[in-house]
Amino acid sequence: MIEAKGIGKVYSVKKKKSFFRSEKQIVRAVNGLNLTINEGEIVGLLGLNGAGKTTTIKMLSTLLNPSEGTITVDGLDAVQDAIQVKAMVNMIAGGERMLYWRLTGAENLRYFGKLYGLSGNALEKRIKYLLDIVGLTNASDTPVELYSKGMKQRLQIARGLINDPKYLFLDEPTLGLDAPVAKQLRGMVKTLAKSDRKGILLTSHYLEEVEELCDRVYIIEKGSLILHDTPENITASVVKDYHVTIETSVLSAPVQYRMKQGLIGCTLGFTENADSTVMQIKAPFDPTAQIIDLCVKESVSIQKLELKRPRLEDAILALAKEKSA
Amino acid sequence: MWLPFSATFQRNYLVMKRAFPWSFFLGHILSGFYIIIFAYLSYFFVFKKDLSSSFSTYAGTNDYLSYVILGGLLYSFSVSLLMIASRALITELREGTLESLLLTPSSRKGYFLGYVAQGLMRVCVEFAVITSAGYFFGLHLHHINWPGVLSVLVILVAATFSQALVLGSFMLYFRDTYITQNTLFVMMGLVCSITFPASFLPDGLRWIGNIMPLTYGVDALRMVWIEGKPLVETIQLLWKMIILGLVYFPIGSFLIKRMEKYVLEKHFG
Ligand SMILES: Nc1ncnc2c1ncn2[C@@H]1O[C@H](COP(=O)(O)OP(=O)(O)O)[C@@H](O)[C@H]1O
Ligand SMILES: [Mg+2]
Repeated sequence: MIEAKGIGKVYSVKKKKSFFRSEKQIVRAVNGLNLTINEGEIVGLLGLNGAGKTTTIKMLSTLLNPSEGTITVDGLDAVQDAIQVKAMVNMIAGGERMLYWRLTGAENLRYFGKLYGLSGNALEKRIKYLLDIVGLTNASDTPVELYSKGMKQRLQIARGLINDPKYLFLDEPTLGLDAPVAKQLRGMVKTLAKSDRKGILLTSHYLEEVEELCDRVYIIEKGSLILHDTPENITASVVKDYHVTIETSVLSAPVQYRMKQGLIGCTLGFTENADSTVMQIKAPFDPTAQIIDLCVKESVSIQKLELKRPRLEDAILALAKEKSA
Repeated sequence: MWLPFSATFQRNYLVMKRAFPWSFFLGHILSGFYIIIFAYLSYFFVFKKDLSSSFSTYAGTNDYLSYVILGGLLYSFSVSLLMIASRALITELREGTLESLLLTPSSRKGYFLGYVAQGLMRVCVEFAVITSAGYFFGLHLHHINWPGVLSVLVILVAATFSQALVLGSFMLYFRDTYITQNTLFVMMGLVCSITFPASFLPDGLRWIGNIMPLTYGVDALRMVWIEGKPLVETIQLLWKMIILGLVYFPIGSFLIKRMEKYVLEKHFG
């Protein structure tokens, strides 16, 4: 288990005042954050730009020392025992860096593999295996500078897995990727956690991605934790509304009235079209079954029915609204 | 330490093979070349082959052309080597690979040694090219104490490597290569007995030459090359290089470690 206790990070930045004078300024990027990651679990770290996600990931992966608090990885201290910790973790960032563009995919992995102490047959086997699971076997002897964005990102994943890390940190791994590539990558992440039992921390801009993948989510703002729960609970606790849109044959006023009577606690709105009526229903519960019952009773034919579940995105928006109110 | 050594060596070898750094290669050869031509012209047209007696006393030889050509040769050798080792990490930083390197639990010593060992391949080619060019301008190639030359070079390489670690930390700190390296290299050309013995310098400048391994290396090389003297006669110079290396190495290792962390904190976006 990875356990971060009260970690914080303070950067000092020089602010130029004029050509000769500059002033030191303190930026508190992360502030008293507590966080755990278990094996086999995907944990999300959410927040707006500048919330401190990357800084947190850099501290967890030993690149930065926390200004305060401690991080332990299976009981080892990330600062004192950095060498052992480095062997157990790895980090993948979105974008196209962290690879040697002049080298081929296989050469990149060979280089990094050796830096993790692998060699000989074991290394070659690992390289082959990784290129296979990221689908780059055919491109293994092509220089990385000729790779597409998605291919580079997949090679990064292979690099991040070269030391078979127990814990993996992904900083916006799907940034700038096409939808199908991003989807494939999400599948890979899921497998890594669920089949290979790796503990994964994921930051992402895309809330749907987080909702789909993560078992638990930490939401941070200006470096401080504001919420920690499962995506379902966050959504349920913050957004209480289900939205159903249903298009039926034209409804007469009495039918509309009886519908309103029948759906207690819901808010209904009607839009009349030439040959149909569109009904908008907002409810604190899932009203689909009741609506269908009513339609059957009134002999109304349903042309289209759409249920919008509350999404994590709505929750975050609602939270932001609450804060600013 | 062996694995990071071989990993880095192999990586740089492949990169060199695919994209030979012609600009550095030619730059270093030219900088050696200019020194030679400058010396050649001034010897024939300014001094008119008339060396002052104080020169031979300080320089320990009358063969001015060989003196300067060897100076240029070793100057470019040393500058090349310094550049290769000191620019290693800042190049990783610029190319966005520093983080992936620092994520690994590998030994930085193995990394640097691999970097330098591979770089020496190129530096040796440069050395050979300048030597043969120097031959046409009057560098003599007989009664050379070759084992002596080799020993001087090995010690110089080790001491220069240590110096490069310190230089590399400065580059990381200032996040600059251009000003840092060129200031040092111009200085080295001036104070390290490259074209004239450092003893001609005022005291205020001479001490800078005294902390450069190159100053001793170039004098030792001249003794075993031009005069063909046995290595034992250079022993004092060799010791000074070794001591400088032993001083620079721990300082450089310490500073590089600090600068690695520093640069990760300062470099973002
Ligand atoms: N190296 C640094 N030096 C100074 N300030 C930094 C540095 N890195 C990040 N920051 C600042 O710290 C805050 C958090 O940044 P970051 O961790 O990158 O957030 P996120 O990844 O959530 O966008 C931001 O205000 C950012 O400007
Ligand atoms: Mg970020």
